[in-house]
Parts: sequence; C-alpha cells; structure tokens
Amino acid sequence: MKPPSAVKIKKMPSRFKHQVAKYKVTRSNTCINCGTCAKSCPYGVHERVEGHNRVRPPINYKCIGFECQNNDFYCVAKCPRKALSLSLNPMYETLGDYRWTADMITATWIMAETGYPPERKDLEYNIGNSGGGFDKLRFKFPPGRPKIDKLEISTEITLNRRNDGRANIVISTPVYGGGMSFGSVSLPTMLSKARNATIWNTFTCTGEGGYPEMLQPYDHNVITQVATGLFGVREETIQRVRIVEFKYAQGAKPGLGGHLLGEKNTESVARMREAVQGTSLFSPFPFHSVYSIEDHKKHIDWIKEINPQALVSVKVSTPNDVDMVAVGSYYAGAHIIHIDGGYGGTGAAPDIAKKNIAMPIEYAIIKVHNFLKEEGAREAMTLIASGGIRTAHDLAKAICLGADGAVIGTAELVSLECVRCGNCESGRGCARGIASTDSELSALFGEEWATQRLVNMYHAWNVQLVEILQKFGMRSVRELVGRTDLLEHIDYSAPR
Amino acid sequence: MPKKYHINSKVTPLNLDYVFKFNIERGENCINCGKCTKVCIYEAHKRRKDDPRKMADPNTVVCRNCFRCIQECPRGALEKSLDKDFLNIGGSYWKSDIFITLWKQAEDGKVPVTGAGYRGPFTGSGFDGMWTDMSEIVRPTRDGIHGREYINTSVELGRKLNHLTFDEKGKLLSKVHDTVDIPIPIIFDLPPDNLSPNVKAALVKAAVELNTCIVLPAGDIASDRKKYIKNIIPLISHKEIDKHQGLIKNTRIVAIEYADELLSNFPAAKDKIKKISNALTIIRIPATKSVETIVSKLTQNGAEIIHIVADYRGREVNGSTDYNRRLLKDIIRAVHLKLIDDRIRDEVTIIASGGIAMAEHVPKAMICGADLTAVDLPLLIALGARLYEEPEKLLIIPEGLEKIPVRTLTQRIINLMGAWHSQLLEVMGAMGIREARRLRGESGRAIFFEEIDNDTFGKLFKKRETVNV
Repeated sequence: MKPPSAVKIKKMPSRFKHQVAKYKVTRSNTCINCGTCAKSCPYGVHERVEGHNRVRPPINYKCIGFECQNNDFYCVAKCPRKALSLSLNPMYETLGDYRWTADMITATWIMAETGYPPERKDLEYNIGNSGGGFDKLRFKFPPGRPKIDKLEISTEITLNRRNDGRANIVISTPVYGGGMSFGSVSLPTMLSKARNATIWNTFTCTGEGGYPEMLQPYDHNVITQVATGLFGVREETIQRVRIVEFKYAQGAKPGLGGHLLGEKNTESVARMREAVQGTSLFSPFPFHSVYSIEDHKKHIDWIKEINPQALVSVKVSTPNDVDMVAVGSYYAGAHIIHIDGGYGGTGAAPDIAKKNIAMPIEYAIIKVHNFLKEEGAREAMTLIASGGIRTAHDLAKAICLGADGAVIGTAELVSLECVRCGNCESGRGCARGIASTDSELSALFGEEWATQRLVNMYHAWNVQLVEILQKFGMRSVRELVGRTDLLEHIDYSAPR
Repeated sequence: MPKKYHINSKVTPLNLDYVFKFNIERGENCINCGKCTKVCIYEAHKRRKDDPRKMADPNTVVCRNCFRCIQECPRGALEKSLDKDFLNIGGSYWKSDIFITLWKQAEDGKVPVTGAGYRGPFTGSGFDGMWTDMSEIVRPTRDGIHGREYINTSVELGRKLNHLTFDEKGKLLSKVHDTVDIPIPIIFDLPPDNLSPNVKAALVKAAVELNTCIVLPAGDIASDRKKYIKNIIPLISHKEIDKHQGLIKNTRIVAIEYADELLSNFPAAKDKIKKISNALTIIRIPATKSVETIVSKLTQNGAEIIHIVADYRGREVNGSTDYNRRLLKDIIRAVHLKLIDDRIRDEVTIIASGGIAMAEHVPKAMICGADLTAVDLPLLIALGARLYEEPEKLLIIPEGLEKIPVRTLTQRIINLMGAWHSQLLEVMGAMGIREARRLRGESGRAIFFEEIDNDTFGKLFKKRETVNV
C-alpha cells in the first residue's frame, strides 16, 4: 500500500503541557539530588536544570513503565539512595472505560502524534475490556505465508458496486468519517475531518444540519446527509456532492430522533437549517414520509433524479430485522447500506438507549452480509459498518465478519485528544474544544494541528491493516471480506 | 383515548453529603498560579475566599473528568483518582454508578443524557444480557417524550377473561372481573420498618400523587394515613383477614403473604375478602426454585394477582449456592412460559420485584413476562440512601434525613419515577409500542445475548465449552 501522495506524516504532539500518565514515579525524601536519574533516563522523566540544587519532580507521562526494568538505565535501580519507586498511576483508572480502555485511548493519541502504532509494548490497544464482540474475537494467522511486499497490498475499496452507470468511486482506505453536524462539533473539528478525507482520498459526512460554506472546497470528499428533519437539505447541496446519505437512525439512540435545544439554535445554525433562531428543532423518528420500502425507493429516486451521478447511502440502526431493511434498501436502489451498531458514538443520547436499544454491530454485520448473500444482492451492495469500531483491529474484524469497510467517529475525536468524558452537550459543551461551538473553547486548537493528527491516525490504522493483510498473504483488503474462517472466538473452540 | 399521564418533576436538591466519583489532590508543588481556575469550565478550582493568594481545595463534586486541570497545570501538581468511598458503595449488582445516576434523576427528574457512546461491558448477567428491539421503517410514527402521539403506560391489575360467552340471544353471560388500573407499571414495595416518619409519609404521598400504590404492613398503617387507603395495599397474613376487616373494607387491593396451605385454601381466603369488599387480592410469594409451579397452582385456584419477590439483587431466594440461583429475568420468563403452557396466562397478573434498580429493568421485566414491577430500594436511594452488598447487605440512610420536609422527599421520589417513566417511553417508542400492556411477554421484540451469540458465533465456531469440561 502506497498512501495517497497527499499523505505526509509529521509528528504532531499533544496540545497540552502534560499527558495522562500510566505510571507514577515517586521520589522519596532520601533523595540527595545527585542527578544520576536525570543523566540516565533517556525519556526525560527526570530533569535537573542547570544551576538548580534540586532535581525536578518526575514527569510521569514520559515514563515507559515496568518494561524499563530490563534496561541498564532503569532509574529505580540506578538511584544510589534507592529513593525512587515506580507504580501504576491511580489517575490512569479515571481514564477510559470497558469499551475504550485507557490503553486504547493512549495508543490512539500516540498514533495521532506519530502516524504509527505505538512502539511501547505495555499498551493493550487492539482489544478493549468489554468482554464480548470484537473484544473476544482473534485473528488466526496461518504460518508460513509468502511475504507479499507491503507496497503491493491494496486497501482500496469501491463504493459503487451496482454497475448502474453512476460514478465509480474508489476510496484509498476502507474507512471514512462519520456524520457530525454543524453545531455538534467545533469548526476546526469539522474542517480537519474534511481536509483529512481529501488527503486520504476518502470521505467525511456533514451530519444533519446543513452544509456549511467552509466545506465547499472539500465537496469532492463530503457526504451530505438527508435526515428525518430534512434540515439544510437543498437541491444545490445534493448536487454538490458525490454521495448522499439517508439517515434513518443512529446506533446510539435508535428510534429516538434528535432534539436541538433552542439555545443551541443560534443565528448561524438557524440559517444553515433554514429555521427560526432560538426555537427547539426536532429531528423526528422515523421519516414521516417513509412507511414502506416503496416510499423509501421514492426518496432514493428523488435524490438520483436531482443528482444523476450521486451514489446513495442508507444509514440504519441494528434492530432484529436489520437484514430485511438492508435487502429493502438494495431493492430501493441504494449503493451503500451503512449499519450503525448500538454501542456507537453520539453527541448526546439517553443512557438507557445507548446501553439497551438495538444490537451490537458485530451480530448485525454477519446478519446483513449473509442475508444479502442469500438474496443474491451482496455483490451489488457496499456494506459499511459503524458504531463501536475503535481500532484498526476492530476494522479488520468487521471486514472478516462481512463488511466492506467502516465508518468511524469516536476514534477521530480521540485523535484530537477527546478523553471520552461524555460532556459533549452540557453547558458550554466540550471542555476540550472538540465538540463545542463556544467561542473560547472552540479556539483551543487549530485546523492544521487537527488535520495532521487525523492524517497520522488514519496512517497508523492503514499500517496495521496492511500488516494484517500481509500476515494472511492477501494482496487486497477485498479478499478479507466475509472471511470468518480467519477468526476465532475465545468463548468457542475451533471452527466446525 | 385516556387523559395523558404526566409526572410533574421539579428540581429538588437535597443538601446531604453525597459520595462523588473523582478525587483531585493538589500537590505541595502548587505555586498558586491560578491556571486551573482558568481552564476548568466546571469551576472545580477556585482561590481561597479568606486568602486569595492561595488555592482552595478542589471542589470535586462538580468534576466531570475532563483532565484539563491535570494536563495544563504548569507544575503537574494536580492528581486525580477514583474516590475510595465511591468505589466501595454498592457491590456486584448495585454498581457504584447506579447511585450517581439515581441521585441525579431524583434531583432533576430528567432522563440521563450524555455524550459519547456506551461505556459498559458488552453483556452481563440477568437484565444486562438482553437488548430491546427497535423498528426502522414500517411502524406507527412517534415523536418520543415530546410526541404528538400518546404512549400509554398504564397497566391493569386483576384477572382477565380468556374469552366471553353469550347466550342464544347474544346477551353477555360472562362476568367481567374487577380490575384496578394504575398509570405506570410500577408499584412501591414494602419499605424497611426502621424509617423515620417523614420518609414513610413521603413514600405514601408520592404513591398517591403518582396514582400508584404502596405495599405497607397492615399493622403499620397509622390512622392519619387512612385517607390515602385507596393507594395503600395492606399486607396481611391470610389468618388475619377478620382482624383487618376495617382496612380491607376501604382499600382497592389487599396483599397476603404466601403460605403453603394457601395452595388448597386460597379460594376460601379470597371469598372471605370478597365478602368484606370488592378488593383484589395479591399473593406475595418469594421467588423460590419451584415458584413457577406454585404460581400455576395458585392461578388455577383462582389467584388474581401474584407478586413474585426475588432478593435485593434480583436472585432466587432460599437457593443453596450462588451459582444455582436464577436471576429475576429467568425467573419471570419461567413463570410466564409455565402459565402460557398451562393456558392460564391471562387469568393472573404477575408483579415482579427484587433488584429493580434502574429504569431499564421495568420494560425488560415486562418483556420477560411480568405485567408490572415493584420497586423498593431506588425510592430510598432517591432520598440519598446508600447500599453496601459486602460483607452483608447494609442500607445507610443519610444523617439528618429525618429533618427534611416531607414535601422535599416526596418530590424527589416523584422526580425519580418521572425520569423512569420518560425512559420507559423512550424504550417503548423505539420499539414502536404504544401500550405498556403490550410489552408483556414480547420476548420476540428483545434480543437475548445467549440466543444471538449462539446464533451468530455458535454457528461459525464450535459450541461453547462449559467451564467444567
């Protein structure tokens, strides 16, 4: 795989003075400030500034942890007064959760900083701690496959498989960015997502709520969303893009619709949405004009009529009958069926919905893939999975289960140093400036920084994906689709 | 269409000592520069009022875990950790986070809404091992809790007829049984007996305002509560029916404790009650191993309502070891299926309780086959109570609670139920179900972990190996 020529990897460090540390180095008062630690630690945990009597407090986040024990420069062993000790930092427990573990978040930050998977061995970042789904699936790499040159391995996928004369869109990596609306994320977030999509020759999505003018330079790589409120949908926005997405539901809050509070409906938001400023705006559920697959087809035909080149994507959640919905969308003429699992991300959703409503994406991918196959429609559809794709390994597993590619949202935001605190909507919005339109908070970082972080993270994922394909002896990610035989589940023994 | 049921929530803080989740410590190397006061948007960091040159102790109650103070302190002087008291609270069933969310719901009466996706385990035991379904396109429209269409959450208690019979002239012969309608599928269950008078009064008042019922021991119904008797379900022994005639005369529902002799002489006990008044009878029965057989026998003997009580963690009672004890989800499913097999499901109303800890447990219990649920501990948690599971069950009522006005306590209970009601609407709305009655036994509209995992991964990989093999 040779990344698109626009992809340039550049180190882009954290925007904060300190990073969240996994370890804690403690210096007791037996320290005599001899400076041995400062001289030996190559990572810069210990510092003794010229002319100062005392060694500075240890900079914990730079420490590589217990694996350092084997190094001859290990500070704890080197200290002549045995004044140093190493432990897990209690703070690390406050980062992350079962699905996105602290290690996974830390590793994503490293990828966004360096463009490569972490070299550190102490981070378990390919699987989370949820105890199910992707976290219980493992790859079964066969021994002794001929080593294919990584440059010859393709990660491209085609999005139009209908052979209907419409644009044949190929993306360079089988991932694109999820819909986050104008108003739900800050401008630098939205723009950097679009710029990254352009650099990586893939896509980003406007979400519901209109097509901001600033996105126009990136039209070629933007998916515009037609959601149930039809906010900001105009002929002109449909004609501008190469892919139009119908959003029926969102995995995190399936069947619940959306609600933009009156105070968030500012002048610019109202203009974009063609609504009255200050009024609460509801995106109802479901489409009030769609009660059947025939109605659904009518809407798709309408888009196709307005933009004769556009591909149509249909985003649905994962109920019991998601397979039927997918086949219905095939008959209605959609190019992409995008299924969004119950554990997916959101800017705001009822906790009860996130946990309980609709099934996790892992089951839905297999269900839809198999049913499309049985109906003879699989070859004509592009199946995109989202909602709980956290890592490159999740992506590859989703493809093994039957998806062609994936949409990611949270992983992009974590690259911009989201800590998943979950306060995207409360008060002034995101304290870290990622999902806030507050003038002060949304200025916490710039577009350049954010774009490079995203480009780096996409690169790291691509590197991991190519490694997986290489281990399987495959030349293209297309060969991986539906290969459940290459997976094992740790609750079950060998395949039948 | 019945009048729209609405629960009036009102923000009601209770200024007692809460446990909070995060602990922030300021190290000695703090130089009092005040950077933290600027970066924290939740105002956890402030200067000392008495001495503005120095920083005050962090106000961790408001901390939302954004890490900005930690990451931006020029000296790295701030440290954050999970609070030990927070971690100790609850146990394996009543997780610490449940308390935080129940307290919040009791304060504001709102559906808990947060950003970012789900954070918990993929699946779990009991109710955590199931998801509710939703419907994508083909179904009636709704607009959630803000909706134009009415989602009816009321349920009926009492016997329903299997079918109607008519004479030759088409005149109805069947006698339609009396039922009691309550607007939410929740009643309040027996509170512990050591509560202060204001808490007891608040429980009754909240039940009255919500138009539901509360189960109280017959001996503990003070005379000034008698005006609320329509919303009180006196709990009596079947031997004391005569003794409590006065109560039974005025109430709509009576509960009697299960005893083995009821298996044969329940009809006599019921007749005795019916002679006093039209009150319906609940038989309150512990969720033992053979509960479904007993429920079936009682129903065949004319039981109208049976209340199945699991332990406070939703497990079977009187079981030998923890391993073999069924969870409420499975107990209800077993009872429901047994009654269906015996073709008597509609002849009895099933109330399920024990371990109903969160809003989602109400629709899930109903999907498994209960007609409604009874709650107990969450009502006290709404008033700031804490529960510890280890080393043994311990309920801590906050100090000073006995001095809080009844109105405040009542409103917090109403708030909690308001939040639960709204969440029930969310789940039902997503399912496209407009009548709570129709939730009962709709297991086809749920996704059970064991079934779907076996259907998906079990088909691909070999069968699950049991732990013992």
